[in-house]
Amino acid sequence: MTEQLWQVHFKVHRQRTGGKPYVRTFTLDVDPEEYILDAVERIWALHDRTLTYRHACHHSTCGACGMRVNGREKLTCITTISSVTQNGGTVRIDPLRNFPVVSDLVVDMGNFFLRMDRSGFNSVAPLAAACLPYEQPLTAENSIDHEPERLVDCIECGLCISVCPAANTDKEYVGPAVLASLHLMYVQNPTQEFIDQADHHTGLWRCHSAYECTEVCPSGVDPAWRIMDMRKKVMSDRIKSIFRPRSSEKKNAQPA
Amino acid sequence: MRESLSPKRLEGSGRWLLKIFTGLLIVVFLGIHFVVNHLVAPGGLLTYADVVAYFQNPIIVVMEISFLILVVIHSFLGLRSILLDLNPSPMVLRVVNFVLVVIGAVAVIYGAWLALTIAGRG
Amino acid sequence: MPNQPEANNWPRWFDPRSRSLGTFGFILNRVTALGLTLYLLMHLIALGQLARGADAYDGFIALVKNPLFKLGELLVIAAGVIHGLNGIRIALNSFGIGVRCQKGTFIALMLIALFIIAFFTFKMFSEG
Repeated sequence: MTEQLWQVHFKVHRQRTGGKPYVRTFTLDVDPEEYILDAVERIWALHDRTLTYRHACHHSTCGACGMRVNGREKLTCITTISSVTQNGGTVRIDPLRNFPVVSDLVVDMGNFFLRMDRSGFNSVAPLAAACLPYEQPLTAENSIDHEPERLVDCIECGLCISVCPAANTDKEYVGPAVLASLHLMYVQNPTQEFIDQADHHTGLWRCHSAYECTEVCPSGVDPAWRIMDMRKKVMSDRIKSIFRPRSSEKKNAQPA
Repeated sequence: MRESLSPKRLEGSGRWLLKIFTGLLIVVFLGIHFVVNHLVAPGGLLTYADVVAYFQNPIIVVMEISFLILVVIHSFLGLRSILLDLNPSPMVLRVVNFVLVVIGAVAVIYGAWLALTIAGRG
Repeated sequence: MPNQPEANNWPRWFDPRSRSLGTFGFILNRVTALGLTLYLLMHLIALGQLARGADAYDGFIALVKNPLFKLGELLVIAAGVIHGLNGIRIALNSFGIGVRCQKGTFIALMLIALFIIAFFTFKMFSEG
């Protein structure tokens, strides 16, 4: 804790369900090392009990408190006030983009969760599979009698969907998190099912390499890397199919 | 739950590969084009007579026409991809596909006619 | 503009505010793509002057020798160089090559592009 408090103006997006958005400014004395979510909670507790926002765990695990801070997607529970403004400065707080606003800072992520579900997303994976291939894989410290597992990195916060320029205009595009989930599922279980889901105009081919998803991901999922790795797989399959025309049909024709 | 019925795939690995392949060839062709124009024919092809003379080489005629075909395929596939970002309805997309194919075909036929006409005036 | 995805959000494609380097690549690629497609069609129509014979074509060339047209021509070259070099990066990335160093690759390629564009600017405007 630093001794000195900062005076910061928070410009907060307000919107009733289906209503016109407006901005309300709250001026607070804050500790610069507090988090944005702390300030939002204090605004609700001390200044305006009608402000709505989502949060739960306060330690970047639940993925509920994603908002735009000064225009940029942040997990507000781990974003310090000093990292986005200065003493006497202003902080804009807006809801995530590319999701319908329910009210104020709350967006409707129902469709996104449904798509994550359909991709087969499982929040637990074997240690080796849960890591990115370019990472040093974690190892279990003590010998245990079952295969070690851990929670996967994606916390389904939706920041990557909010920042993606393709998700801006196409509501059918499943977005980076879902494609990263398909990649993770494919790594664990390489079946055509995941490839077919990804190799689609609402999937891999809507990505236009802006790499913003990887940039904002608070959890190190690297969705862009996973999308490109999936593309590599899909394209090498496609190139092979050019040189082996109809081979699968021949196989099918022969008795097993 | 309408979305659980996976809609028809409108863009896939094949079109992306074609876009990359044509893009790469365009880079190669443009490189040749600049070298030819600035080193082989200094000052460029700035008069009608220069152009007619340039097109007397059959390799040039073939190269210019294939270059046009590559550029049309690449740019129209790209344009279609940008339009797909706007999530068009199947009806609108059918119209877009039709318009792109027609304009592309007209551009290639017109360009080929032009190249052959100029070549024939030697 | 609405918060949820909608086709009429498209101006946001070109909004570089609070974006990182990757989006600049995306914006550059999209702007140059649209510009070059427009140029392709204009170029084909303009070259129709060739079919009308020597006088028509040479008259047309005299017209495009004025500085305004030369500036336009320079823009086309710049767009082509940027789109081509950036396209190499995106093509390699989609084969899984160089994804983790895409920022460095982008900066390097755009520096090369700047160099090539400077070369053509000098060449075009020094010839008079």
